[in-house]
Formats: sequence, structure tokens, C-alpha cells
Amino acid sequence: MDNQNQQDSRRDFLKKSTALAALTISSTALVRAGQHDEKIASLFEKVDLHIEVNGVAHKLSVEPRTTLLDLLREQLHLTGTKKGCDYGQCGACTVHVDGKRINSCLSLAVTNEGKKITTIEGLGNEDNLHPMQEAFIKQDGFQCGYCTPGQIMSAIACIKEGHANSREEIQEFMSGNICRCGAYPNIVDAVMEVKKGGQSS
Amino acid sequence: MINFEYSRTSSVKAALDVLAKNPNASFIAGGTNLVDLMKRGVTAPQRLIDINNLPLKQIEEIPAGLSIGALAINSEVAENDLVKKNFPLLSMALAAGASPQLRNMATVGGNMMQRTRCTYFYDTAMPCNKRQPGTGCGALKGFNRMHAIFGASDKCIAVHPSDMCVALAALDATVTISNSKGERKIPFTDFHRLPGETPEKDNTLQKGEIITGVTTPKNSFNKNYYLKIRDRASYAFALVSVAAALEVSGDTIKKVRLAMGGVAHKPWRLTEAEKFLVGKTPTTENFQQAAELAMKGAKGYGHNNFKLKMVPIAIVEALSKASASA
Amino acid sequence: MDTILNQKDIDRVDGVQKVTGSAKYSFEYDFPGMVYGVLATSNITKGTISALDTKAAENAPGVLAVITHLNCPELPGYKTTPEQEKLAATKKGYKVFADNIIRFNGQPIAVVVADTFERATYAASLIKASYNKENFNTDFEEAIKSGTPLEGNNFKEYVRGEANAWKNAPVKIEATYTMPIEVHNPMEIHGITVVWEGPDKVTLYEKTQALSNTQQNIMRDFGLKKEDVRIITQFIGGAFGSAFNTWPHSMAALIAGRKVQKPIKLMLTRNQMFTLVGYRPQAIQKLSIGATQEGKLVGITHEATAMTGSYNEFTEGIVNGSRSLYNCPNVNTTYKVFPLDLSQPTWMRGPGETTGAFALESALDEMAYALKMDPIEFRIKNYAETDLERKKPYSSKYLKECYELGAEKIKWNERNHEPRSMREGDWLIGYGTGSGIFSAWRGAAKAVAKLFPDGTLILQSGVTDMGPGTATAMTNLAAETMGLSHTKISFELGDTNLPPGPLQGGSGTTSTLGTAVFNACENMKKRLAELVKDNPVFHTEIVHNVTVEDLVFENGYMTLKTDKTKKISYADVLKNAKLGVLEISEDSKANPMLNHSAFSYSVHFVKVKVHSKTGVIKIERAVTAVDAGKIINEKTAESQIIGAVVGGIGMSLMEEGVIDHRYGRWVNNNFADYHVAVNADVPNVEVLFVDKPDPVLNPIGAKGMGEVGIVGFAAAVCNAIFHATGKRIREIPVTPDKLI
Repeated sequence: MDNQNQQDSRRDFLKKSTALAALTISSTALVRAGQHDEKIASLFEKVDLHIEVNGVAHKLSVEPRTTLLDLLREQLHLTGTKKGCDYGQCGACTVHVDGKRINSCLSLAVTNEGKKITTIEGLGNEDNLHPMQEAFIKQDGFQCGYCTPGQIMSAIACIKEGHANSREEIQEFMSGNICRCGAYPNIVDAVMEVKKGGQSS
Repeated sequence: MINFEYSRTSSVKAALDVLAKNPNASFIAGGTNLVDLMKRGVTAPQRLIDINNLPLKQIEEIPAGLSIGALAINSEVAENDLVKKNFPLLSMALAAGASPQLRNMATVGGNMMQRTRCTYFYDTAMPCNKRQPGTGCGALKGFNRMHAIFGASDKCIAVHPSDMCVALAALDATVTISNSKGERKIPFTDFHRLPGETPEKDNTLQKGEIITGVTTPKNSFNKNYYLKIRDRASYAFALVSVAAALEVSGDTIKKVRLAMGGVAHKPWRLTEAEKFLVGKTPTTENFQQAAELAMKGAKGYGHNNFKLKMVPIAIVEALSKASASA
Repeated sequence: MDTILNQKDIDRVDGVQKVTGSAKYSFEYDFPGMVYGVLATSNITKGTISALDTKAAENAPGVLAVITHLNCPELPGYKTTPEQEKLAATKKGYKVFADNIIRFNGQPIAVVVADTFERATYAASLIKASYNKENFNTDFEEAIKSGTPLEGNNFKEYVRGEANAWKNAPVKIEATYTMPIEVHNPMEIHGITVVWEGPDKVTLYEKTQALSNTQQNIMRDFGLKKEDVRIITQFIGGAFGSAFNTWPHSMAALIAGRKVQKPIKLMLTRNQMFTLVGYRPQAIQKLSIGATQEGKLVGITHEATAMTGSYNEFTEGIVNGSRSLYNCPNVNTTYKVFPLDLSQPTWMRGPGETTGAFALESALDEMAYALKMDPIEFRIKNYAETDLERKKPYSSKYLKECYELGAEKIKWNERNHEPRSMREGDWLIGYGTGSGIFSAWRGAAKAVAKLFPDGTLILQSGVTDMGPGTATAMTNLAAETMGLSHTKISFELGDTNLPPGPLQGGSGTTSTLGTAVFNACENMKKRLAELVKDNPVFHTEIVHNVTVEDLVFENGYMTLKTDKTKKISYADVLKNAKLGVLEISEDSKANPMLNHSAFSYSVHFVKVKVHSKTGVIKIERAVTAVDAGKIINEKTAESQIIGAVVGGIGMSLMEEGVIDHRYGRWVNNNFADYHVAVNADVPNVEVLFVDKPDPVLNPIGAKGMGEVGIVGFAAAVCNAIFHATGKRIREIPVTPDKLI
């Protein structure tokens, strides 16, 4: 892991570059002095990021402040993952990182270096739906459809984690995904159906 | 959010070195609280030091009890067989917190470092001594339904929002902290602090330090229960919560640990109540007397006055539930 | 637990798009050179902007423009006419960036445009404003004490029979019920994508329940021609009433996009969802009811007080249900609305009726207890056979059937009437009921049906679908009417280039659009019959020239009624006639309902468990029986009622908008502090439909159901809590602290 040194050297280069050449103080102090001058902050280099999304390897260069959610939606155009609150309070942005469900709105993209991300687009397509996608249609586990990708990602993880052994357990372990249309009972039916039928992953 | 510098590190020493060079840096692990606070402009570190690769993820038995790394993931601790078997209170508290997704991200150290959910703290257009010392406490005469009834000051009546920390406080855990000089250990109950005159300080972690882990001593509690009362059935912060661990032998309480969440700036240990209960029989009457002792010094601020009534009920209920547990 | 499957239960036609993530919502369109708009908002509640410092934002990296009231271009719709000048402040409305007046905390003061979302967000945080602050009031109770209610036709007292007759009745109750602000909070944050081609032609992807209205608003404000304003709304991630208006952020995106002449998208934050897209107003209601000892209603007096924003007079039918739900000779209602220095409210699911039914149906329960009478028996005893308010018969009314169906399902007869009489361990058990009423109606709509030689049918109408499944229901309806498999039918919606459909709301979409679709299909069948009139296939000894009456339309074939062997497929009819397409355009008129009153009804039965010590409440069962006329698609209809009930669970147990009146600022404007129901709060909701057609309202027999499913539910919960605990809670939400 020589990342740190690499970055430091790049920063050294930056300090010497024209924009900051006249200033002999460190960029950190500069930011402090200028409070919120992002002109300078923007000179901070983007960070290299290697991630695999739905089986496709990406080599990206991203601003550290970009969340995994915004990276997926705005840069990779994978808009199936939804923004419902942006504060980790609704679950619409649920994706799998190395097989585990997380809220992508609270995960900085850069902290996912080397990880495998699965989004709703990586599950199945029209001709070959994932059993959970099929079950959501059959059980009518949605209305407007906006929370649905997050619900489905969460539902698959719920079974995989072993938290789908009863209606009550499913309810508790699906409570991180808010559905304002109120499809909850049908969502539980869908999870139970897939659980009963066994789940391919 | 203002842009910031970012670096990854892979050892505690390297992390501390970067921190030493960047006084306005923050460590980032799960990010569930820090990223949220940065989005709202509550905090704006100039550098984030990604510590996710530090080798602090262990959940293991040690001669003294249980050793949990600062970067152990909340859901993994909650589901760990060893934890479930020997420290069920911790498992129960963790499972009561946040959502499955957030528990998959949040780390033990991050959970300890999470900041209050006080709305005045989160809204940069409102006064808050914790966020901006000297601006006043918005909650004191404002909307304070979720706020403290114990140990608050007129500078701050915020509560610490963690469930996990309530269990660790009850279980007499110890926090291990590293700094440039080496390592220091402090009782978990001394990690978080009361607001006093300096509510901007949530805890006793000093500049240039990092939490590396928590150890929880072996215990003989055969009755455990974590009670969390909240406004909805799941995915909500506690109105009040109670961690209760008892060692009951025959008809006698040999040992008891009680701590509460949602009532103070830190996980609130009920030492008076514990002392009272030792040697007593586990009856509702004794639990009620213990709860009464626990209420000494409690103070409501208006919207949270109901906690003065709810807390003793919760204590009795948690003790009853624990006693009835297998 | 299992839904009964029948031919009415087709899966959602847009289900695959929704479960694969390919469904595109308004913020999710991508165009080359896309830029992002982010709003900066005021942190004072009332006053004027004295100075704005936008320099730092303008100089921030990636920023293309900052638009404020200082540089907002003059728009035709922003000019006030002399008549508008004369209007009361509460009728003037508010236009974003039109002036420097701050009317509520969180009002947009600038929109920042930048090349990335992150940069726009950051730059927006750099806008600094100075204000001349003015005194304000956001406190409803304070306004009632010291303010002046609005005046006008909307606030006339209603009196039937004798006013306040309840006072002279042998048994009487009086009680006051309060409820807080509730916020729609659909999961999709309101967002918009705008693409200008020059200054006078625009396409927008907008979250709207009312395509035509939105188009009109934009035409008016920008002075544009109809053909130059195209709105596309393929998917809406929920709305529940929050997407009728053309809100400030949409105007901001339009103004900004026109200025930078780049495709722009703008999404609110979840925090901003509490101040910029409406909410259900706070209300305090007094109900006074008088009855005879035998339980006949003598008088109902319903006095409702609610609030609105200072710049927009919002009114809704809070007291309407009290006038017509029961057979009561003497009813008087008053409705007062106080303006506050808050953003404007708007319609939210079951507007008015939901608020009113919470009070009325709670009070009915209180009266039933005062009479020592079963609450259902009491309601049936006062069953209204005609609409006493309008003095008209009902087009159809199966409320009694709803009482019966629901009572049987939940085993109401096993309920012990005595409060606090049922228990399971530490849990107190209670059963409660509450009814709902919501107006059924039919507006005007256009629809086009196109039949193709391959046997497929395309239906088109410019309606939008926020989730109930309009396209699915219309496909279902067309399949049934045309005698065609639903797999051969597609429904195109969500585009102003399509023939104008109805708005989606007020529980009138299916009735209104369904009529147009039904008529289009019927006319299509007539045209098909005309095309085969001379066809030798159908010639028999009796029949020479077939008419539509001689034919059965099923499975894509026209078959002679008298001889099933004689048939021809629709496809062949078109092929024989060498028609590339057979198109029927239907312009269906509104039904003025001159001789009838039409309503949908719901009856909720709720079983609650209340922890005897901690006050924690669990909804154990929810049974809702509904008279919504004929059900077009049972699967989506059931889901819609379940959803309404889930909304009702939130309303009764946890939803509460809180404002700090010292600052006029929201304190719980997010999903962690404003609680909506999560999965663990919701039992397996049992939905029962009477499913009998309304013979008057429209040819399809459907009434409406989106709203009525929530109306009365909060009262059912409060009544169940009373039954469980003996505590009458008249202030929702009922959180555990209210029960200890």
C-alpha cells in the first residue's frame, strides 16, 4: 500500500505548480486561512479508484467527496439505485458491496477501492429476472417503484444473511428500507416466497 | 460539501503519522455518521484518513474476555457466535440500532465516535454550543423531546445516540487508545463525557489519538435484556433504552449491571440502583425501588418530561424481562 | 394471506421496468453537457433580502450561473396585473425569485448551476444573504388566540335543520381533536430535468400528477406556445398529492436552464421536501354530538380550525364528512383557516376528509361508549339512505356491506365492549373501527385507441401514474372490453404530446380515464363490426348484415353469437380492409351528476396491542372493507388500499411535523426524525372489496379508492387504543409517551 506516498508526492508537485507557486505555505494551511475557498480545494487531486460494478471493472478518477450513490447514478448512469434521502435514513440507495448490503449514500466512493459492487442492474434483465425480482412482480411488492431496487437488494441480502426465517424476522430485517406507498406486507410475501423456493445468488 | 484531501493508510502508526501532520483531518471508517455530518455542513475536515484497511477487525476471545477491534463491523459483532453466547447484551443492543445496511457499514470505533442526533446540532442555521461553542443551546428552550434528563448542563442537553455503547458501558468494557507515545486504556464509562461547559467535546479522546479496540471482561451474567422504547418498531433512535445484565443465583441477585441510553450525553450507568439490587431478590418491588434510586437528579426540560415517568418504567421492565430470560 | 388470483389480477404492466431499475424518474434522464441546479434557501422566516453576496459561489469551480431575484429575467407570468395587486396577500401566491420578500423559512433565495452535483451543492452553500427581519408567527395555536381567520365563500357556516341541536339531546359528548402537520414524503425526492432549445422551446421531465396543468403554468409564466412546452412524465416515485403544483424548484430549474442553455437537472434535498412541496395542514377540531337514549343522532356540530401559508389560501373539505356520512337531521359545521408564516400546504391523500374523519369517527366512538352501544351497531342505526346535504339519492352505496364484511373478518362479535377488558400477558388488547367517505366523480378526458393488423392495441392518454397502476388498470379494462389478451395491449402515458388525459388525483383517474378508454374500445368494436358488415363469413340464413349486437368479441376474434363457428380475428379485419391502423379518438365528457350523489366508502377494523407498562403500541391486525364500485384490477387495487392503511398507521402512531416557533424553522425535516411507518410497524393488512358496480357514475362501474383507504383509519386506531387501555387519546400521533 504505497498510496499514501504516491499522493503525497502528487501533492508536492501541486504545491510547486503554478497555481500555488507564489504561496509558500502548505495547502492545508491555505485552506484554513481561506476558510472555504474551494478554488484551492479543487486543486486537490482526484483520487484513483478501481471498482467492479456488476462484473465490469472500472478505473476511475473521482473527487473524494463523491458518494458511491452519486458515482453510480451521475457518472456511471446506473440510475436504478435511488436517492431517497441522501442521509442513510431510507434504504433506497441499497447496493451490495462485496456481497453485503449497505447504504451507498453514506459511502464515499473512494472508500470502496478494490470492491465489488452489485446494483439492481446487475441482478437480472427483462428476459432473465432474478427470482426476487419475479417475486416482487408476482406479489405486487411495490407501487411507484422508487424504493423497489433498494428493497430487492435488501431482500436478497436478508435471505443470504439468514434473517428470513419468519414473517416477523423479515419485517425487522427489511425495516431499513422505507416504502411510502406501503407495500410492506407484499414485500414480506415476496421474500417468503423466494426463501421457500430457495434462492440462486 | 467542500472538497477535501483523502488518503488511505494500512497501519495504526501510519494513520497517526498522517493525523499528526494534518491537524484538521478526520479518520473515516464506515462513514455512516461522518459523511452525513459533512453533507449537512456540520463538520468539514480538510483531510479524511481512510482507516478501513487497518488490522483492527478482530472479534476474539482473550484470557480476559472478549477483544473487539475498533474496525469490527457492527453486524458482524452482533452476529458473532462468541458474542451471542457470552455477551448477549451486546448483541441485543447492536441489533436494536439503526438498520441492517447501516450495521453492515458501521464500526465499533465509529459507533463510539458518533455524534448526537440533536436537531439543533445538525442544522447549521440554528444555535448549538456543541457545533459552534458560544452560540447557545437551541434545545434547552426548544424542541427537546429526545433530550437528556441526566447530567445535562445549560450549555447542552443532547444525548449520545448509540445502543452499542449502552451495552458496553454496562459490561464494564475498556477502551484501548493509541497515540504517538504508545497505548492507553480507559474504562468505557470514562470514554464519553458529560457536556458541562464544553459540550463540543463528546469524549475524552485526545488530539492525535485513535481508538484501536474495546475489551469486555468475562462475566457471569445469566440474565440479559436490552430494552429499547422508540416511536416506531424499528429503525429509530431510542426515546429511552436500558441494558440490564444480572447474575441471579437461586433467588438472589449476585451481580447486576444497568446502563441507559437516550437519557444523557453519555451512556448512563445506574450505579446506585446496581448497589441496591445486589443481594436482593429479583422482585418487581425491588426493581421499582432501584428505579427510584436511579432517578435521583433527573430533570426534564419540557418536551422530554415524559422521560421522568418512562425511565423508571423502562428500568423495571428491562429488569423484569432480563430476570425472566433463560 | 394469499391473494385470490383471477383474470382481473394481471401483474403490473410496468413491473419489469420497476424491478430491474430501468424505469426512469424525472431526475434520471441524461443529456450531453448536463448541468446541475441546487437551491440556496433562506434561514429567516419573514422579511426582505437586503443584500446578497453571490461572488464566492460564482467564483467557485464549475459554476455556470447563480440566479437570484436580482438577476432573474422578467417573465410574462411574473408581471402582476392591477387586479392581482388588489388581491389579499393570501391569494397572491408566490413566484420564485420574483421579489426580495421572504415568506417562510427555507424559501429559495438562489439557484446555483454547476457542471457537477457536488460542485453545485458546495457553491450553493456559499451564498450569503443579509435580511431585514420582520416579526413572524408559525405557531398555529398562537394564531388561533391572537390572529384573524381568513374570510370568504370557503368559510361559510353550514346549517342543516337546527344549529347546535346536540345541546338539547339526552345524551351528548363534546371533544376536541388535534393533529399536527403531516408531510407527503414520497420516496422519490421531487426532481426535474429541463432541456431548452433556444429561449422559446422546452422539454421537461417533471414529477407531476397533472400534465396539462403543469404545461399551462409554464406556458403562462414563460409566455410560450403549447407546442413549445412538452412535458414527459414516464414514472413518478410516489406523490400522494405533492405533485399537482408547479413548485418553485421547477421554475428555478426552468429559469436557470433557459439562461445557461444547457440541459439541467435539479433535485431537492429530503430536508427541502418539508418546505417546498406542500404538506397536510395542522388542524384542531371540536366535535359535539347529541343522541337519543336509543342511539339515534340528534345533532352533530363540527367546528374545524386549520392553517395555511401567508401567501396562499389553501382550503379543503375537513367538515364535509360530518354533513353526509350519517343520517342526522341537525348538522352545523364551521371551518376557520389561519394564515401562518410557513410555506403553503397542499392536498395530501384523502385531503380534508382524512383530517375530518379522525375527529368525527373518534367522536362517534365516544358517543357509542356514552350510549353503552356497540360502535358498529350505533353507526348502522344512523345509516344514511340518501345524501341529506345535497338532498339526492346515492348513485350506489354499499357501506352497510363494508361494516358486515369487515366485522365478520376481524370477528368483531368476539370483542368485549368494555374498555381495558381484553389482555394477552403484558399486552392490552383493543379493537376499534372507523369509517371513511370520499367523493366519487368523473371528469373529462381524451384517449386514443389504435388497433394494428398484427392484432395489437395501443391506448394513449396524457395521464401520469404516481404508483397506483393506472396503465395496468387501463390495460385490464381494455382487455376486458375489447376481448383481447392484455399481452396484446400497451398503454402509453406521461407525455403532453398525447391526447390530454385527466390529472391523477382525487380518486378520479380510473372513473374519468376509464370512461374514455371504455368508450374508445366500444367504438372500436362498432367500427370493426361495420368493417365486417358484408363479410360473407357471417352470412347465415338469419343474419345478412351483421351489426355489433350480433357479435361476441373475445380472444381477439369477432364471433357470431348464433353460430360460434363463424368468426374472424381483429387482425384479419384490418388486413382485409387494408388498414395499417384503425384509430379511435375518444373525447369523453365529465359527468355532472345532477341527480345523484356519489361516494366511495371504507370501514376499517383495527386490533391493537398496547404494552401495559411501556405504552408501546403494535397494530396486530388491520381489516379494511371498501366500496369503490367495480374493481378493475384486484391486485393493484388491494395494494392501493394496503398503502393507504400504511399511511394511516403513520398518521395515527408517528407522523408529526415539528417547527421551532422561535425561529420558524423545521426541527424534524428528515426521515430519522419525522417517522413514517417501516416494515416492522405494519401487519398483514386484509383488504375486502364489495366489488359492486356503480350504475350511474360511469359505464365501467368503478368509483375511486386512492383516498378513501386512509380516511377514518386514524380514528379506528385511536378507538382501538381506547378499547385496549381505557385512555381516550385525542391528539395524534399516539406515541408511547402518551400511554404511560
